[in-house]
Amino acid sequence: MKQDTQSHHQHHTDLTRRTLLQSLAGAGLVAGLPLVSPLSAQAANNKDKRILVVLELSGANDGFNTLVPYADDAYYRLRPNIGIRPNKVRKIDDQFGFSPGMAGFERLFKEGKMAVVHGCGYAQPSYSHFTSAAYWHTGAPNTGEPYGWLGRVADAIDPALTPNFLVNIDERQSLAVRAAKHVPVVFDDPERFTRKGLLQSRPLLDSVPKSVAASATQNYLDGVANSAREASQLVRAAWANYKTPVDYGIISVDLPKVAAMIAADLPTRLYYTSYRHNAFDTHVQQSEVHQRMLTYVSDAVSGFMQDMERLGRADDVTVLVFSEFGRRAAENTSLGTDHGTANHMYVIGKPVKGGHYGKPPSLTALDIGGNVTYTTDFRRVYASLIDGWLGADSKTLLSGEFESFPLFG
Amino acid sequence: MRLFQAPTLLILLGASLLSHAAPTSWQGNLQPISKSEWNRERAAHLLERAGFGATPEEITRFAAMSPTQAVKTLVRYKSTPNPLPAFEHSGVHDAGLEPFATSRPAATDLARDTGESLGVKVKPEGNRRMQQVADRFLYWLRASRLESNRVGYWWANRMLTTRRPLEEKMTLFWHGHFATSEEKVRDYRKMLLQNELFRKHATGNFRTLMIAVAQDPAMLAYLDAAVNVKGAPNENFAREIMELFTMGVGNYSEQDIREAARAFTGWNYQGLKFVVNPDKHDNANKTLLGHTGNYDGVQVIDILLAQPVTAEFIAAKLYRYFVREELSPELQKELGDVLRKSNYEIAPFLEAVFTSRDFYSDASVATRIKPPVELVVATYRKLGLKTVPGIPDFNDLTESLGQKLLYPPNVAGWAHGKSWITPGLLLARGNFVYDTVFPPIAFVPTDRVPNQFYQIVPVAEKLAMGIDVTTATKPEGKEMSSMSMQGDRDEDFNTRLASYHAWRKAIEKVKPIPRAYAHLNLTGMVQQAGCKTTQQAVDYLLLRFLSVPIDSESRKKIAAMLQAELGTDDLSRAETYMEEALRTTLHVILSLPAYQLG
Repeated sequence: MKQDTQSHHQHHTDLTRRTLLQSLAGAGLVAGLPLVSPLSAQAANNKDKRILVVLELSGANDGFNTLVPYADDAYYRLRPNIGIRPNKVRKIDDQFGFSPGMAGFERLFKEGKMAVVHGCGYAQPSYSHFTSAAYWHTGAPNTGEPYGWLGRVADAIDPALTPNFLVNIDERQSLAVRAAKHVPVVFDDPERFTRKGLLQSRPLLDSVPKSVAASATQNYLDGVANSAREASQLVRAAWANYKTPVDYGIISVDLPKVAAMIAADLPTRLYYTSYRHNAFDTHVQQSEVHQRMLTYVSDAVSGFMQDMERLGRADDVTVLVFSEFGRRAAENTSLGTDHGTANHMYVIGKPVKGGHYGKPPSLTALDIGGNVTYTTDFRRVYASLIDGWLGADSKTLLSGEFESFPLFG
Repeated sequence: MRLFQAPTLLILLGASLLSHAAPTSWQGNLQPISKSEWNRERAAHLLERAGFGATPEEITRFAAMSPTQAVKTLVRYKSTPNPLPAFEHSGVHDAGLEPFATSRPAATDLARDTGESLGVKVKPEGNRRMQQVADRFLYWLRASRLESNRVGYWWANRMLTTRRPLEEKMTLFWHGHFATSEEKVRDYRKMLLQNELFRKHATGNFRTLMIAVAQDPAMLAYLDAAVNVKGAPNENFAREIMELFTMGVGNYSEQDIREAARAFTGWNYQGLKFVVNPDKHDNANKTLLGHTGNYDGVQVIDILLAQPVTAEFIAAKLYRYFVREELSPELQKELGDVLRKSNYEIAPFLEAVFTSRDFYSDASVATRIKPPVELVVATYRKLGLKTVPGIPDFNDLTESLGQKLLYPPNVAGWAHGKSWITPGLLLARGNFVYDTVFPPIAFVPTDRVPNQFYQIVPVAEKLAMGIDVTTATKPEGKEMSSMSMQGDRDEDFNTRLASYHAWRKAIEKVKPIPRAYAHLNLTGMVQQAGCKTTQQAVDYLLLRFLSVPIDSESRKKIAAMLQAELGTDDLSRAETYMEEALRTTLHVILSLPAYQLG
């Protein structure tokens, strides 16, 4: 796996967006860039500072071995070999406990900064990673919705199309950020998010020529080229100037990059990142590798939260963690788990009212495929974030009414 | 000689100014185009799609044929002699490595229990008695990965130099269709065998290929065949064969998957051979897709191939890869009929597609975003290179662009189309061109010097200074989080020491990838084409490399830059010093968004 373990050099910095831009302008790097976007200039309204970071655990994380229902005998009957024993789990109450390596999640829950939403899924579930992920990305199961739910949110809350409003850190763009109007900024390694070119060729490299007979694909390429030009210098400078004493653990799932952009005060309000490459698809001998990956996730998310405190932005940032589906209730004969249905969603942050939401699905009333039945439509969590955090109208954006949970104060 | 070349340029440039727009009625029309409709532009389009792009000389050769002949030459390639070297193994494998442990703990636990593992005996006494077992486990992982990179490099050279471009292109197509990754297989030998399998059946019969893939050790390893046994079927392969290999999602039930999985029970591999274990095979009746019987895997494949959706699914996937992303349900059905009527023979299907008016319609021509491997190979081909440069590294380069051979991202393979382009990736594509015309001088070969990720170099340096193993292998820097000390807890071996030993042993055996720069001669290229002025040179390069014309204002601006660099617009005056400026110009041209299209 190529996901990096970024460590950061230690020289001090406290650059604001303004000084950052000044230093860039001084270096002649931001010619043609609007120095202050109209929206961030009038960020008096607090809602305009609110940021949502979405972390996808690709491959379908095994929720039952993440937040273990250790008081439920049925769990141990279903998982005689890979069930995590009560004395090993990190108990958060008399029903549930986190996987042994998830000290960070345990702490966040106990501090009241984590909402666990139980039994999240949807009707007529797909067991295909790709289909189900598309349903979660669009927030529109069993339809042909072409745009991602975050792409639609961006178009709704930022009609001015602020550059760098929607950022996706990955090798390729997620369907979740695909928008009708916004062009998401998508990059993987900030240090490589730059164009090489000799000085004399710069003006040509930076202009996007008109094609003679532009096809739809050509127009798409031109749009991406413009977005790249506007974003790359800001992102790279943000990363170069970001130093943190906080330990994000071994696989940081790109959260330090998000922190760097927040530290640089970019106008981004929607970030999307993932634990990549179907890593959580644990069909075979899962215990050791699954616990290790959860440790990475827990370390990275709690590190990110500490970093937000350090930056004074903890009140402005919420993190959503999800997977495209859960895994089967029973273990399989290869000491792993197969594709399942309902799963937890985690909403994490200082502004979040922590605790349990939704009803844990029953482990004794499984369907014919050995799966639990979902108790919470996952779009209720999207609605809670759209209405309660981002200040948009979920009814329009999700094409239907999904009752919000009172996740925010 | 140049006297004869000049008219060539005029013909080429003249052709580029003519508009060869096809009638709109061609879109969706599978009727073959006629000989009178054949021209240079269409020959270039064919070579772009059925191969990896072409030089003007190759285009001229194909333009002189009839469209039927041109397509036949590419598709029925078996008669074209193509002497290319077989992969040269470094010799990293030995029998003691079989069967390879599923994990490092499995290897060392076996050593603890039996006194031996991976062909290495445990030391009778002393410290770190199982160190050599841990070393050997990691040795194979590193050696197999490095050798896989050599396979990727070898394959890239085939793509560049082959006289049967469609053979390699179809091999690449099947690699994406039957996606299998060394990341999980952990055995380059299996990956190479699979690659040869794809090549052997590249344009052959889909049924034959599907059965061969279902019995292919790399695929069996990738989709967990070893644990699919009677009484405890593992659904992984059965699900993917229906969802990704034959029918497509939504055309079968979960019950069909469970039943199909039972039919494949007992299929496994031993070393590099397919085996059926009769004791592990479920011999009871299975019911799927309306059929009931005591099926085995081959019979299930036949049931899947008899589904009308399967021919349509495969036909549409080929079409999307070779022609364009969007196709109407009617066209999809028609294409499915073509494939079904050919009895799943791929070659006649491709011939039908490549000769169709639809293939040459405006909706198809120059609308495809080149996948990274094709972008890189096509660039080298059009530059006239005879070998893939070692700098930049082909595998690292294509990986950073989103496509590494032998490492598809997941079971669905590469997504293609717009997914290849993000702001970050678009810049990276331009940077690839920069690194081709101005190769990095501080290049570090990652097949010798370990990636920082492994943190091997600091360990090696400390040991050389006489520092004890525990101190030398203590993680550097900040206090580490919960799990990172795991390796040091076990007294029987030290995993960070093993990591260092394994790397050293691996690079001792694995042959290095040759690290030569590209030998470019753009001066010779524009001179041979008969270019006299900077504008002609720019127009020639645009025509040679791009499939899409750009506006005249941009053409003039690029020529103005070249002229400013040369201090003249007269190429003969600048003959002795124009290479550097031509390279700068080529970088600009190949950084155009339009260069991503083919």
